[in-house]
Amino acid sequence: MIVIACVDDALGMMFNKRRQSKDKVLQKEIMEATAGKKLWMNQYSLNQFQEEFPESHILCDEDFLNKAAEGDYCFVENISLKSYEEKIEKIILYKWNRKYPADFFFDISINENGWKIIESEEFPGYSHEKITKEVYGK
Amino acid sequence: MRRICKIKSRFLLIVLCFFLSGCSMVPEKSQEESTQYVSNIESVPEFSGEPYVVVNENEPFFEEEDYTEEAFEEYSDLDSLGRCGVAYANIGQEIMPTEKRGDIGSVKPTGWHSIQYDNVEGKSLYNRCHLVGFQLSGENANEQNLITGTRYFNVEGMLPFENMVADYVKETEDHVLYRVTPVFEGDNLVASGVLMEAKSVEDEGDGVTFCVYVYNNQPDIEIDYATGESGLESESEVTKSDVSKEAQDSEYEAGTYILNKNSKKFHRMDCSGASSIKEKNKEEFTGNREELVNQGYAPCQQCNP
Repeated sequence: MIVIACVDDALGMMFNKRRQSKDKVLQKEIMEATAGKKLWMNQYSLNQFQEEFPESHILCDEDFLNKAAEGDYCFVENISLKSYEEKIEKIILYKWNRKYPADFFFDISINENGWKIIESEEFPGYSHEKITKEVYGK
Repeated sequence: MRRICKIKSRFLLIVLCFFLSGCSMVPEKSQEESTQYVSNIESVPEFSGEPYVVVNENEPFFEEEDYTEEAFEEYSDLDSLGRCGVAYANIGQEIMPTEKRGDIGSVKPTGWHSIQYDNVEGKSLYNRCHLVGFQLSGENANEQNLITGTRYFNVEGMLPFENMVADYVKETEDHVLYRVTPVFEGDNLVASGVLMEAKSVEDEGDGVTFCVYVYNNQPDIEIDYATGESGLESESEVTKSDVSKEAQDSEYEAGTYILNKNSKKFHRMDCSGASSIKEKNKEEFTGNREELVNQGYAPCQQCNP
């Protein structure tokens, strides 16, 4: 599976059971980047997509990390990924380039276990001056 | 829209109870009982290297009737010692800044000292800290909205919460009820910290909800909150320097710098490092150095502006 996550400068993802941030441009980017493939997420994440993208390739399931197959995309906001690391083929991090409060973090060490950055690009968001997309593979 | 501040007595009660209760649920206490403990901050956990602690399980103490879809700002009158009080706002795009931040160097909040340490990012220990951040309300040199705060308090403590609120409002065009309460112990001139509360209005807190106490501390530095005097903690080996009158003047004097918007560094005009900045990342800035530091810029290590 290919994991997609949004993180702040400290690899934070959530604070007080809420996502740190969201961005309309990023939502569109994720939908376009995963077009033609399965995009898994849970109900919490679906809530930020379903209004803008009511008809889409999103599959919603609370156990999606166990159900996703090779080549499927998984958008993750509030689930620990550490125990799924061996199953992950690729990681796509969208960096807000901002400091937010965090009490839940992206917990795969991208500087260890053979992960290497293979792609990086920047683009402006709707409410974020600069979002950085980084793709990691092995 | 700015309206005259009338701080509600029930809110004061809540804040005072918070400091009595050691950051737990608000106990039932009479106002008289609580008022006795205005200066009692001992029950807040001591600063232990984390910039903030969660209060009341992150649930703000707002009154139900305060939620509104109309933006407002309220700032307290300074007290007899010249100290700021509660700043209360309903953050919306209507009050967010449309221009770059102006000069705030003319305001000297209580306890203000210009002092530098080698182990402080940007060197200056103190920043003029907005209670309601500039990015939220566009307030510049409003003395009712600026306190003396450490660099760590400003950047690691308050700023992440301000960022979260600002980006939420920009993204959704909704409102966030937002309150910052500076906490002064006794007659201290420097606040020990602030209580920050926020809740998004239109989605009833789904997007943003927090209630935290942010410490006005700086790692490895001791602060006398009565006066603002400071010193290195005994085992620290870094150095401090009282900023000379000349240096103080230069800190507030407008200068022109070259900014690298990408790396967030600023340079002297004649710095060789400035000439290699890509045009799209380069910007000229005229104003005082401290403003840049407050905006998150760090001085170039080569030209040391």
